[in-house]
Amino acid sequence: MTSGAVAVRASEMGEAERRELRAARGRGLVIALLGAGALWAASGAFKVAAIFSFWLLEQGGAAWTITTTVGMLWLVAGSAAIIIGGMQAGFGARFPWRQSLFVIAPLYVAAILGALLDGQVANMTGVFSGSLELAVPITLGALAGILSERSGMLNIAIEGKFLVGACAGAVAASATGSVLAGVLFAVLCGMAVGYMLAWLGIRHQVDQIIAGVVINIGAIGITNFIFLRVLAKNTWLNTPPTIEKIKIPFLSGIPVLGPLLFSGTPYLYVMLALLIFFSYMLFRTRWGLRLRASGEKPSAAATVGIDVIKIRYHSMLLAGALAGTAGSYLSLSSAGSFQMGMSAGRGFIALAAVIFGAWNPVGAFGAALMFGFSDAIQSLMSILGVDVPPQLLNSVPYIVTIVVVAGLVGRVRGPAAAGQPYTQG
Amino acid sequence: MRLELKEITKRFPGVLANDRISISVDRGEVLGLLGENGAGKTTLMNILSGIYRPDAGEILIGGTVRNFHDPHQAIDAGIGMVHQHFQLVPVFDVVESVALGAETVTGWLGTFGRAAARRRVVELSEQHGLDVDPDAKIEDLPVGVRQRVEILKALYRKSDILVLDEPSAVLTPAETHDLFKIIRGLTAGGTSVIFITHKLGEVLEVADRITVLRRGAVAGTVKPADTSREELANLMVGRDVDLLVSKGPAKPAGVVLSVKDVQVMNDRLQMAVKGVSLEVRAGEIVAVAGVHGNGQTELVEAIVGLRTIDSGEIVIGGENVVHASPRRVADLGVAHIPEDRMRDGLIAGMTVEENYILDSYHRAPYSSRGWLHAQEVAAAAAQGVRDYHIQTPSIDTIASSLSGGNQQKVVVAREFSRRVKLVVAAQPTRGLDVGSIEYIHTRLVEQRDAGAAILIVSTELDEVLAVADRIAVMFDGRIAGILEGASATREAVGILMGGGE
Repeated sequence: MTSGAVAVRASEMGEAERRELRAARGRGLVIALLGAGALWAASGAFKVAAIFSFWLLEQGGAAWTITTTVGMLWLVAGSAAIIIGGMQAGFGARFPWRQSLFVIAPLYVAAILGALLDGQVANMTGVFSGSLELAVPITLGALAGILSERSGMLNIAIEGKFLVGACAGAVAASATGSVLAGVLFAVLCGMAVGYMLAWLGIRHQVDQIIAGVVINIGAIGITNFIFLRVLAKNTWLNTPPTIEKIKIPFLSGIPVLGPLLFSGTPYLYVMLALLIFFSYMLFRTRWGLRLRASGEKPSAAATVGIDVIKIRYHSMLLAGALAGTAGSYLSLSSAGSFQMGMSAGRGFIALAAVIFGAWNPVGAFGAALMFGFSDAIQSLMSILGVDVPPQLLNSVPYIVTIVVVAGLVGRVRGPAAAGQPYTQG
Repeated sequence: MRLELKEITKRFPGVLANDRISISVDRGEVLGLLGENGAGKTTLMNILSGIYRPDAGEILIGGTVRNFHDPHQAIDAGIGMVHQHFQLVPVFDVVESVALGAETVTGWLGTFGRAAARRRVVELSEQHGLDVDPDAKIEDLPVGVRQRVEILKALYRKSDILVLDEPSAVLTPAETHDLFKIIRGLTAGGTSVIFITHKLGEVLEVADRITVLRRGAVAGTVKPADTSREELANLMVGRDVDLLVSKGPAKPAGVVLSVKDVQVMNDRLQMAVKGVSLEVRAGEIVAVAGVHGNGQTELVEAIVGLRTIDSGEIVIGGENVVHASPRRVADLGVAHIPEDRMRDGLIAGMTVEENYILDSYHRAPYSSRGWLHAQEVAAAAAQGVRDYHIQTPSIDTIASSLSGGNQQKVVVAREFSRRVKLVVAAQPTRGLDVGSIEYIHTRLVEQRDAGAAILIVSTELDEVLAVADRIAVMFDGRIAGILEGASATREAVGILMGGGE
């Protein structure tokens, strides 16, 4: 009886392994087929040039140019896919195929880009630094989302906080003539909205999704009202000084990388610093341990004497401050004034970045970069007059998000207690 | 005395949960706190751990009065709770789970000193013979190990009074045995232990002294050497308890339920039932024994049509029900008493009457053309309440406000109101008082004698041995063995529950 049971188990282990091997072979085949497609595309494209240029030291100055052909790009991408597909089929489940996609995907993007440009020179410094700048508010918003959800609070009001922050920042900066005052006021208003959400969700146990929707709609109403009834008549309240780009000494002198990474707005540097800071805080400190415990299993935290309610309030205030900062970026950085509905859904994109990045700050930053990249490509296309429907390009990141999130279902889990009100005792 | 609770009183709206309870435990002593569900054990421990504050009475530690306002103070006073439902964060590893709330930190950012914490966890587990991998994730650990992590949590905080709330509820007999060894090791080192349970055999085995609670008050304190199972049962319930279910021999007839090579996945898409074959005949009670989480839940859900099976065949009364809806399964004469009555058995916010017709509201005489017939519904519900002795103010009472035993009776009354050919009862007596347990068991035997096939899933060995004509033990998604109820021993079932080694 006993030995029989053991024998059954052993054969079933074999069955599970066989299943995995089959799945791995299937994946390998799909990847290799993609590679074959690329090779086929390559065959007719060796006469088309693909020219990518990077500014060496500063915008408009000397450039460093990579010249190749679209055929070469397809060839490289296709070969990589075939090799990786083959390895996947050969090594089976042991092969890190998810990671390998991060090698294949950029190669395909480069090849598709080359094909679309059809011989025109593309300035990639603009595209990459543009992606970074566009990623700033999304990353800040995603950080806000991560902090609140990791503590157990669903936060879909990031969009609303962006709007409030943008409006508050523009008004305060215009009134005082100081950008810093604008940012500070945006932070305060973001925190106020964050507190309101926390108060509704924790104190009154309002469904956190409904509370978030209410706040988003309320933020649209209030900022529209302020814009139409106050700012329209008093334009001096909506002409803030804008934040200029800063070149970091020495670092900005590095060829290629200098103009790309070290010549942005202060927001970029602040965002990168916060990204590193909160990654450390979340996963390496007592504060982070307790915050994550509150979001995963609040009763476990409470029984060892941790004040879950306080942690959730604090994280919501922090999230509000981060989202408010992101909002001020919208009106104080590029636009130079507050406009109605100027957050344009970026708060929701930040939420997508939270999920895409598996509730991890660095992952969310990666997702934000992807969203920023597709935006930047789109503007590059329209500048160069390439005929691609912008709506199609715009929807690519979302399609990718859906595919990735669907593919990760069961593997990527959010904080277990996010959205559940916690009551003591 | 290291710890004394004096005249503790706690009142909730409508209930006197603790009525002047006094207990004490000495250094190196194991106090068994025995009582049935609802006797006030958990309330008392919540007071001791600072979660509730007593209305009257005091807590003395080492002779000085200490009153706790929050869990922190109780922890600082040396009280370590091991809750019945483990308070561990599933995605944390062992070190993080143990240190949470008592972390040592360095630097102005408060960096968690993981290396030091890990060292202490390893040290403590070696010192006390608690075999735990410090780097394993909690969710990957079997429940027996999770319990050791909980004990480590208490030791990490230098607790010298360890409170174990129903610690054996999730353990196999072998694991329970290991736990007793750990407890003896701890008490030898001077730790005091309060062992809360409703299982008579366990207190007799492990406790130095036994305090019995009944209806929120102390019914007596005895030494294991001076008492017996019968006396303890009597103290616990307040009257003589028939520890055995009176039933005649089974007269099995034709096969009603046949499960063949069934595989079922759980919610996390892991194979939970890995090829189970089982037959239940009319006129017999088959009990599926085993520690919770070995595939019983998924098997039951598959049988009653709540879960799609991966492969295999389920036949009820000659009809293949693999793709049948739960309603179709019910129409075949299957009564289902679900494991979690508040989730799957009742709709908590609806009335007794509405819950009573949940299975048949859509047909005559309760409704026609989509309209409910209030009079017929009320008459039937009132009849059910009478027949099953359901203690409820009225049939319009909200189900969630009934006691656990009466909620279960509503479920049973509803399920047995149909023509019953097969009863599938999952943990039918979990959380019930002895009176309700006896009642449910009697009804199940009645159904058997009336010719129904009965399948009971239970994690309680006592229940399995008392009611079953045949016992199928499940382990790791398989039937580890099938025993005849009359000749089965605790030891034989216990060995199979642990996988048969």
